[in-house]
Amino acid sequence: MNMWIFLPVLLPAVAGITLLAASFRGHLAGKADGESTQARRTLHTFTAAVLVLTAVLALLAAWSGEHEVTLFYLMEDIPVYFHIDAVGRLFVTVVSIVWLCVGFYSFTYMEHEGEEKRFFGFFLLVYAVLIALDFSGNLVTMYLFYELMTLCSMPLVLHNGSREAIMAALKYLFYSMCGAYLGLFGIFCLYHYCDTLAFTAGGTLNNAAASGHTGLLLVAVFAMLIGFGAKAGMFPLHAWLPAAHPVAPSPASAALSGIIVKSGVLAVIRVVFYIAGPDLIRGTWVQTVWMTLTLITIFMGSLLAFREPVFKKRLAYSTVSQVSYILFGLSVLQPEAMGGALLHVVFHAFIKCALFLTAGVFIFKYGKTRVEELDGIGKRLPKTLWCYTFASLALIGIPPTSGFISKWHLAEGALAAPVGIFRYLGPVVLLISALLTAGYLLPVTVRGFLPGRDWQTEHRAETIPEKEPVGMLVPLLVLAALAVLLGLFPNPVISYVTDLAATLL
Amino acid sequence: MAFVQNFPFFCIILTLFSGPLSSILSGKAARRLNLMVITLVGAMNTAVLAFVLKNGTYYVYKMGHFPAPWGNEIRVGVLEAVMAVFFCLIMLLSMLGGMREREQEIEESKQNLYYIMVNLLLSSLLALVYTNDLFTAYVFVEINTISACGLIMIKQNGRTIVAATRYMIMSLLGSGMLLLGICFLYGITGQLLMSNIQESVSKIHLSGVYDTPLIVALGLMSVGLAVKSALFPFHGWLPDAYGYSTVSSAAILSSLVSKGYIFLLLKIFYRVVGFGIVRESKVIHVLFVFGILGMIIGSVDAIRANSIRRMIAYSSVAQIGYIYMGFGLGTTAGVLASVFHIISHAAAKSLLFVSASGITDASGDSTDFFDLTGAGYRNKVAGVAFTAGALSMVGFPMFSGFISKIMFAQAAVGHAHKMLPTLIALAISTILNTVYFLKTVIRIYTPARREEAKEKQYQTITMRQQPAKAAALICFIILNLILGLFSQPIVNWLEQGLRMFA
Amino acid sequence: MNVTSLIQNNYEEAIAMILFGIGFSNLLLQQNLIKKIIGLNIMDTAMYLFLALKGYISGRKAPIVVNGVQKVTAYINPIPAGLVLTGIVVSVSVTALMLSLTIRLYRRYHTLNLDEITTQLEKEGL
Repeated sequence: MNMWIFLPVLLPAVAGITLLAASFRGHLAGKADGESTQARRTLHTFTAAVLVLTAVLALLAAWSGEHEVTLFYLMEDIPVYFHIDAVGRLFVTVVSIVWLCVGFYSFTYMEHEGEEKRFFGFFLLVYAVLIALDFSGNLVTMYLFYELMTLCSMPLVLHNGSREAIMAALKYLFYSMCGAYLGLFGIFCLYHYCDTLAFTAGGTLNNAAASGHTGLLLVAVFAMLIGFGAKAGMFPLHAWLPAAHPVAPSPASAALSGIIVKSGVLAVIRVVFYIAGPDLIRGTWVQTVWMTLTLITIFMGSLLAFREPVFKKRLAYSTVSQVSYILFGLSVLQPEAMGGALLHVVFHAFIKCALFLTAGVFIFKYGKTRVEELDGIGKRLPKTLWCYTFASLALIGIPPTSGFISKWHLAEGALAAPVGIFRYLGPVVLLISALLTAGYLLPVTVRGFLPGRDWQTEHRAETIPEKEPVGMLVPLLVLAALAVLLGLFPNPVISYVTDLAATLL
Repeated sequence: MAFVQNFPFFCIILTLFSGPLSSILSGKAARRLNLMVITLVGAMNTAVLAFVLKNGTYYVYKMGHFPAPWGNEIRVGVLEAVMAVFFCLIMLLSMLGGMREREQEIEESKQNLYYIMVNLLLSSLLALVYTNDLFTAYVFVEINTISACGLIMIKQNGRTIVAATRYMIMSLLGSGMLLLGICFLYGITGQLLMSNIQESVSKIHLSGVYDTPLIVALGLMSVGLAVKSALFPFHGWLPDAYGYSTVSSAAILSSLVSKGYIFLLLKIFYRVVGFGIVRESKVIHVLFVFGILGMIIGSVDAIRANSIRRMIAYSSVAQIGYIYMGFGLGTTAGVLASVFHIISHAAAKSLLFVSASGITDASGDSTDFFDLTGAGYRNKVAGVAFTAGALSMVGFPMFSGFISKIMFAQAAVGHAHKMLPTLIALAISTILNTVYFLKTVIRIYTPARREEAKEKQYQTITMRQQPAKAAALICFIILNLILGLFSQPIVNWLEQGLRMFA
Repeated sequence: MNVTSLIQNNYEEAIAMILFGIGFSNLLLQQNLIKKIIGLNIMDTAMYLFLALKGYISGRKAPIVVNGVQKVTAYINPIPAGLVLTGIVVSVSVTALMLSLTIRLYRRYHTLNLDEITTQLEKEGL
């Protein structure tokens, strides 16, 4: 038995629950917030130890070959079943890196948000659920952890307990659950026509059973695309993203935007390439509608981001648009585009995380949330703004950063795919959106470093470089470096995703 | 004969006699007696369940040692025992959960009357579950109706009396039809014991002489019991009856009384008429259609309801629709899903009623949605419990509702004509469920504006103030989780029970 | 067998069914509570008639032992009579309950009409 691969799930789950219990007991005892430095240090050491240990275990489990374990049977023929495969491995690696960076960043950041025990409790819990989600070996197990992820990540959003935060969290819950139910409907339909619900590259559709029911199957797959697409912020169920991000603490938004939305992508990959099979939807109305929706989302997201004055909301809209790049790459059903999409999963996770963490630094230091307040910020926090700039360049896709590689593959793949007008429409929309991306990200850099003479005379005191908190700067540097370096040395990742895409298509 | 085999009979007699005994006791003593009796009966039924599971077959218990066509019989299989255990468990928790409300809402001198009704109700439920005699079943159906009516009207105000009257009228129509159906069957077969009726019915069906009366009898009994268990469109009495009675009553009525009738209908399908004949008849199509309509219209009504209690009540209409839809599929898998849903809905709905009362307590006893704002913070256990119940009802994985939805879907998939309607109805109803349950969850967790909370003087309720209710709620949550996570053994029992049942 | 002869041969049963229908529709449709209860009783009585008919075999006696036990074929089926008795007991208790409810409602609302009571309830706004 390979029971040990549960360790990376079990460890953070137990640690998270312990922290939550401790936090709850603290509340019962009526202890006020703002714990002593000593207690905080213990908490941080504990969390850091758990994080590192989990990450090591998770990577060990992921990269030590294919494992499969059946945990128990939910129902007779529906096991809770885990199977580590190439996609899961990729996602687990990304999740672990991001979680480590965000975790270390939070040690400093969460000081001003308070309730750290609760935050880290849920933070670890979500990590556990995400690892389990990535390791899930069949559709029902995935669905189970998908819903759990929604539930566990909700407290991260409503952390500060304000009215807006709670409304945003509930909006998030509502959208996610409605989406998940559409997915569940699809699972019900597919269940009967598939040999098994265990993920198999190329799909498990039983052709004998499915013949004559293609219409129904297409509807089911479409429902699942829309449903799981809700988590990935795909139009029309994208509205939770801009609501949830600004109110959540910045590390939580980074995790949401970098990782949680990617679980929607993972679910879509699992459904399309591992259960239904790409052949089912190739050339049908589902593919057309799917491509249309993703392109609409890409364009709309960029445009809304362009017009948005609140910094984190702008980044949230940017996520809406960028994740749909990934979905578009998947929807053309072409190996190269698929490779590009998987690359973008990795790169976007690091980039968007870095961007949100910079936003967090601004909030942490000065409480600045709006874009126009960020004028001249580069004078005070030059290193942070440089990280931001590199991440922005990567997101826009300027060579030689990572974003360029993934977008190049996406466009190439789209041009090579037999998808009619979308062959050209896709790359064009990608290009326009890249321009818009430059338009909404770069002004912050420009105005941050070069606020203009008038501003300098007015705010003379704010032009001196200040001490930048190391605990937050280091994770930021790591992520920004990854965003750039992966563009300079992309070959290992590219070869990995190309192999993966080749097995799937 | 093992001593355990006497237990079903003991249970019925014990509860039946503890009813009149309560009438000479004080309210407190009656309550204690009632809780003791329920616990004892639950324990006895568990023993019976263990016995039947070990034996692997059902047994027939002759009352007074008269042989088959003359004597009265009890027949015990796994399904019956599981149901009896669950009924006892849920009744116990509902009684615990509504203890404080009962003491407030019922006049001091009438306290013990309530326990008479509850004891009689439990007795009649157990009798409905165990009996093998159709006419005995009818008599206990009436006892069930009368005691349920008592449970509704024990809280004295205009609403409850009118609700009780409406409930009585609909129930009497239902039992009239049931009795007529039984008389028809008796006329055709000349038997009253279920197994004997089935023998004759299968002979008659083969000869094909009395087909029309047979179908009419089946239709009458089905419709009669459907009316009594509030299948759409006969649900008019339900929202008032569940919405205004005291909380234990609402929980018991929605999760047990209607389920007792449904179980009797199942018995009639399997053991009196024979499932083969039922499947051939058109009756199940009717049940299917009304089940599906009920699922959707019940949910729509629930969305439009203006108080939390009425919303939960309307949601019962939808859930009962699920159960009849499962019957209507006409397959063993469908019936199995329905039977599981009987249990899972009972667990979730009583949880919802009890936790809703906790929530309204913390909102100045108002059931209006607007006043519930932020109630989840004022009464934490009830808030969590309501959320758990709501998640179970909307079919969140790990809760019982998810398993029953999967089972319904599995049963429906592959059905020649009914697959699409079932799946679509399931999807629509799930989304509607999500709308109104999450709307409520959102409402109770939306922080109230501070001035408002002060102005209305909401009180905060902690676990220590209402230990019985908190304990009941926690048990309910655990029950729902167990049904959701470890459903397989229970489903296996039910399956085994259904096989024994026929 | 056509309908006329069917009814002629079973006219007692037909009457029972008609009575049942009358009772049923009264219970369902009447707004006056007392009339509803009367409907209920008609319905029940129709049922007893039907049951009694099922037990009666023409030309035989009630199973009361007078001149020693005779052959089984001499007596009618006694079970329906037992059922009717049970049914009467049930019906009496149900009627009593309904009447008590009616009295309650009348004392409170001074009307027996269920519709009017509902309107008054809505006015009360409970």
